[in-house]
Amino acid sequence: MKAYWVALACCLSLPAFAETEHPLLPGYAEQARQDNPAFTGFSAERGKALYFAEQKRDGKTMSCTTCHTADPRQIGKTPAYRKVEPLAPVANPKRFSNPKKVEKWFRRNCDDVFTRECSAQEKGDFITWINSLK
Amino acid sequence: MRRGKPLAVALVALAVAGFTIADDDEHRYKRPKRLAVPADAPQIWKDECASCHMLYSPGLLPAEAWRRQMDTLNDHYGSNASLEPEEEREIRAFLLRASARNHLPVEPAKTAGEPPRISQTRWFEHKHDEVSAAKFRRESVGGRANCVACHRDAERGDFDEDRVKIPR
Repeated sequence: MKAYWVALACCLSLPAFAETEHPLLPGYAEQARQDNPAFTGFSAERGKALYFAEQKRDGKTMSCTTCHTADPRQIGKTPAYRKVEPLAPVANPKRFSNPKKVEKWFRRNCDDVFTRECSAQEKGDFITWINSLK
Repeated sequence: MRRGKPLAVALVALAVAGFTIADDDEHRYKRPKRLAVPADAPQIWKDECASCHMLYSPGLLPAEAWRRQMDTLNDHYGSNASLEPEEEREIRAFLLRASARNHLPVEPAKTAGEPPRISQTRWFEHKHDEVSAAKFRRESVGGRANCVACHRDAERGDFDEDRVKIPR
């Protein structure tokens, strides 16, 4: 009888998981675990902190917000005056749907802002946060 | 008559020198003329190059300048614009092919280490010498690299002077 309830609980909770977890997260979690065996999961809070983290570049303050604005649900602008469609999936469902594209822009923009690559932990944290925005 | 010969030679030499100077001067202000974006331009070129800045018609620079752009995408005027090798090859091939009619000399950028800039070519400076620095600084204009602000069809390679409108 107990096993029945456990099985039922699993069946009920699985679809709920599928709905909330972003499809790119399992891959990043696996990578993060490889990078650091003590990996305990992703944090939206850390993802948000990364988005607002400021760096000095050539005397100018830079962060993700420089192009994506302080609200990633809004339209942004590149330094070359190109319109940037909203980054948050709630405002722009195409975002974070193509793994190749996601990797390309993490590669470019982490280098632009932090002059380094972002770790799988950071990418997962970030997607967890940006995907949680309503 | 014998004296006339050296004089004639000197005159010819002068004329040749004069021509050379005039030619050089003209060359200096020769501007690219084949600017229309080819109809078969690959979508990947549009997608990749226009996600951060306006789409620059390949004819604006000679092929060698584009080669230098494509060789330095990791540090593209301060931004990482690196591409996947396959995308890189396709875009490079298109740029070299579509800029083949531009026979102007490559003019290096003023900042060491940067690839050539369209906005720092002599013809660009000459064509815009009546546009003040203050106008270029306007938020609505967005600098010398943002052609579309004033040339509304710039991304199709249309820079017709009669249609220029500098926004307030």
